[in-house]
Amino acid sequence: MGHLSYEEGKKVVFKGLIILGIVTLVEVFVALLGKGYIIDGFHLPVWLMYMLMISMSLYKAYFIVYEFMHMKYEVPGLVKSVLLPTLLLTWMLIAFFSEASTWRKWRAQVNDKPIAAFSAPAAETHHDTEHKDGSPSEVEGHAAPVDSMAALPDTTHAPVKDEPKPEKHH
Amino acid sequence: MSSDHSAHSHDTHASAPSWEGGSEPFKASYGKLMMWYFLLSDAFTFSAFLVAYGTLRFSMPTWPVPDFVFSTLPFGIHHQPLIFVTIMTFVLIMSSVTMVRAVQEGHRENKKGVVYWMFLTIIGGLMFLGCQAWEWTTLIKGESMSITKNPFGTHTENGVYLEGDGHDIKEGDRFEAGQSYLIHYHDGHYQPLKMKTDAGEIKVQQMGPKAFGALFFFITGFHGFHVFSGVVFLLIIMLNVASGIYSKRKNGYEMVEKIGLYWHFVDLVWVFVFLVFYLL
Amino acid sequence: MSANHHTHIETDIHIEKQGFDDHFHEHHEGDKFQTNFIFKYIFSMDHKMIARQFLITGMLWAIIGAAMSIIFRLQLGFPNESMAWLKPILGKWITINEAGIGSLDPEFYYGLVTMHGTIIVFFVLTAGLSGTFSNLLIPLQLGARDMASPFLNMLSYWFFFLSGAVLLYSLFLSTGPFSGGWTAYPPLSALPQASSGSGAGMTLWLVSLALFVVSVLLGGMNYITTVLNLRTKGMSLWRMPLTVWAFLVTAILALLSFPVLFSGFLLLIFDRSLGTSFYVSDIFINGMALDRIGGSPILYQHIFWFLGHPEVYIIILPAMGLVSEVLSVHARKPIFGYRAMVYSILAIAFLSFIVWAHHMFMSGVNPFISNFFVVFTLIIAVPSAVKVFNWISTLYGGNIRLNTPMLFCIGFVSMFISGGLTGIFLGNSAIDIQQHDTYFVVAHFHIVMGVAAFFGMFAGIYHWFPKMFGRFMNETLGKVHFWITMVGAYAVFGPMHFLGMAGVPRRYYRFDSFEAFQGFDDMNKFITVAAIITFFAQIMFVVNFFWSMYKGRKMTTQNPWGANTLEWTTPIEAGHGNWPGKIPSVQRWAYDYGKDGIEFTQQHVPLREGEEHSSH
Ligand code: HEM
Ligand SMILES: [Cu+2]
Repeated sequence: MGHLSYEEGKKVVFKGLIILGIVTLVEVFVALLGKGYIIDGFHLPVWLMYMLMISMSLYKAYFIVYEFMHMKYEVPGLVKSVLLPTLLLTWMLIAFFSEASTWRKWRAQVNDKPIAAFSAPAAETHHDTEHKDGSPSEVEGHAAPVDSMAALPDTTHAPVKDEPKPEKHH
Repeated sequence: MSSDHSAHSHDTHASAPSWEGGSEPFKASYGKLMMWYFLLSDAFTFSAFLVAYGTLRFSMPTWPVPDFVFSTLPFGIHHQPLIFVTIMTFVLIMSSVTMVRAVQEGHRENKKGVVYWMFLTIIGGLMFLGCQAWEWTTLIKGESMSITKNPFGTHTENGVYLEGDGHDIKEGDRFEAGQSYLIHYHDGHYQPLKMKTDAGEIKVQQMGPKAFGALFFFITGFHGFHVFSGVVFLLIIMLNVASGIYSKRKNGYEMVEKIGLYWHFVDLVWVFVFLVFYLL
Repeated sequence: MSANHHTHIETDIHIEKQGFDDHFHEHHEGDKFQTNFIFKYIFSMDHKMIARQFLITGMLWAIIGAAMSIIFRLQLGFPNESMAWLKPILGKWITINEAGIGSLDPEFYYGLVTMHGTIIVFFVLTAGLSGTFSNLLIPLQLGARDMASPFLNMLSYWFFFLSGAVLLYSLFLSTGPFSGGWTAYPPLSALPQASSGSGAGMTLWLVSLALFVVSVLLGGMNYITTVLNLRTKGMSLWRMPLTVWAFLVTAILALLSFPVLFSGFLLLIFDRSLGTSFYVSDIFINGMALDRIGGSPILYQHIFWFLGHPEVYIIILPAMGLVSEVLSVHARKPIFGYRAMVYSILAIAFLSFIVWAHHMFMSGVNPFISNFFVVFTLIIAVPSAVKVFNWISTLYGGNIRLNTPMLFCIGFVSMFISGGLTGIFLGNSAIDIQQHDTYFVVAHFHIVMGVAAFFGMFAGIYHWFPKMFGRFMNETLGKVHFWITMVGAYAVFGPMHFLGMAGVPRRYYRFDSFEAFQGFDDMNKFITVAAIITFFAQIMFVVNFFWSMYKGRKMTTQNPWGANTLEWTTPIEAGHGNWPGKIPSVQRWAYDYGKDGIEFTQQHVPLREGEEHSSH
């Protein structure tokens, strides 16, 4: 409160408008560029896109909290008491997402081995035996929890459907 | 809340170190602190939703591509990915900015200024809600997505669409693995297209992961509900400002500051909703 | 206690001299908010009254919850005896066959187990414990006139009340209350058609708990803000009694974990009412496949335990705080390792957010990620052990008064050790394969959380009863209560370890169709008998409580225990605002017992000539 003069405060506001606007535009631009909408046939690596967009969003969040919500002008104790607890979410993210990627792998495995009564026609399921051999090692090879994020976009497993479908991986 | 008659232990000895008691170590009134801690807990509510979203998404083999799903604009414009939601985001940012201005005018004890900027904030909030209503309507009515049905699927292989009836099948457009498609809905049924993969199999389009629609409506709806209640509170507080009851308190319109915190928080949540639903 | 009369007079002098005047009574002439019955006793905004409301409501729930456990214990101990005599209370849940033998409906058995868990965990040990004592002690011990927001404080109680009313109503549904366990795992909780309690019973359960979350959050925000903002002059954080530290950290835990549960519940409500599939996938009911794909019941478990584990510390931390304080007062010794106590509370609080999946080792959690949870879980033993060590050291060489509050403190320490040890077994995922979902777990958490938290609560009630009602509880009855409860609790939960190690699963209606478990009939009978005796000891406590409210020995001095904390400087009949004149200012920490040969020195008494601050 009151650490800035009225005129300075006003300036910060309009600076904020411009910063948030521009960052948002850049985010959208990266999303479209990365997925090939802007230059035909040009794609950004997925991890790079994700990194860019996540850091820009974190920057926006920082700006909103620190400038608009005046966190910058609060005493350090208040800042810490509100912001430090959010760090608890990091382990939550790691654990939940690591679980998610496990479920995906296990689901894929299960769908490779349909149970007779409610499975897809047998003819279709025979189709990719060579994959079945590959999948267990895939589960064991599951190492760093974070790899789930990077691994997601380029997986091409078939969606889990009302009736399990044969699928082709990678 | 305004009826609180709490006992403040105001610092009469300004020289005492702030943690020694008898003063407010955070130099913030109890009301503002409580708003901060409420927002912290609300942040955990939203985080839990977003984590659940991420978890379900990562547990799926495929997920609809956002720039395919969110590519419709009013006036019949199609295939303009992410433009509409960018506009929505701008509306919300604008309303955050007008809110900051209202708080600043409050510090100057300028009643008219507060009312003016708050009014603009409310307009911004309503515009955002309007946009959201339009977006939902498009998805529900136009594209037949619901919380239990998601017609946005994803190709897992390369191939071509097949057109025509059983006798005379022609090969149509090509598609590639990773591309999204929308299954059209006519006459009370989804009408998945037939396709032939490069491996030579004949398949039909499959519905996308159910969780996509449910999570989208649920989380944007929960955010929208926050915007809506924010608008209601803003309206009440604006009327109170206009009636002059805050100017009597001589505390720099603290109530405006508190609702301001809430409003920015709503914007903050949108940053992440925008990120995970529309960008990633 | 000859010093008491003396202190009485001194108190006023110190407050007069060093206290500071916040002009409270000029703004709040008398008590304009408490002029009539309704605002004094029902919609009261006085934290002391709200504390009593929480306590008495919690006690009523405790009686209901405990009575339920007696009914299902009867079923487990005496599965072949007739329960026809319960027909007048349970009505259609008792079926009487031609031979006149009445048996408990299995579905209702599950309902009872579920309600018992929900009621004790949330209504009794969360609201009844932290709600009562945070409200009573935070303002009093910090030298504040009231909570930061008395109004929200009042709302917090009434949301709790409503939440209880909704759950109570669900007991009388024709389909019965929810019966899928207090953890409410899907699919039993997600599909209304899954069991008879999964319909309306579950809906009301969710409504009730959602209201409860609101209550906890309103309370928590208030407690945190009060501790941070409204401490009296001189009350630095390092001079706060350990009770207040515990309440502060408890409130923080609640503020961060309950919202997550709330989100989880909203998703569950959607699954139930709108047909979404967040928590269900590939599911069959009566041989019919449901059109529900893509969710995961394990997602619910993660979300639930992300709250659930902090929740167990939300329950035990206030009890730890109460015990630390009461133990030190009645051992007439400063608490051993004050700072270590605070740091271990903080460490436990932090760790409690990163260990939740130890409840899910057997649910299909990826074994890789389990390893991390094992390690984090076992680390909790360190701060827990620090606390136990400090309690014992506080007792060591103390001038112990073996009165009821003290006995319950010692009982608490004993229970916490016994239950904590079995936690270490369970925390190893490899051992948990054998123990999970058996009576071993039941024994673990009842001893370490259930009984220990109740003991902390009893210590608190016996100790602060004079502060709340101006009278003492009957000491003889108190001691009888303690000894029966202490022996009874071990008699009930001790044998369960053996049942668990033999693999007897929890939540079963009867065991006689399993050959492996036949040998345990006598043990189950023994447990049931012990439980009934212990239950009656609690009834005796309740009688003592209400009898003493009106007939107990009167409190004649302000500080009967010779304690140091500020609540004992208020008048015996303190009105709203707590202190009639100025607020005391704090000159020292809360544990100057036996210092310089003086039995105790209250916190608002300035340093004597030549005295130095106790180092802590
Ligand atoms: C050294 C400390 C502790 C460790 C290592 C520990 C570990 C565990 C583990 C691994 C389980 C899961 C067992 C299973 O379901 O297979 C468990 C259950 C439980 N623990 Fe602990 N625990 C500790 C202390 C506590 C404390 C202090 C409390 C409460 C105040 C507590 C309350 C509970 C409850 C309520 C459950 C069972 C919940 C249910 O399944 O219904 N534990 N504990
Ligand atoms: Cu736990």
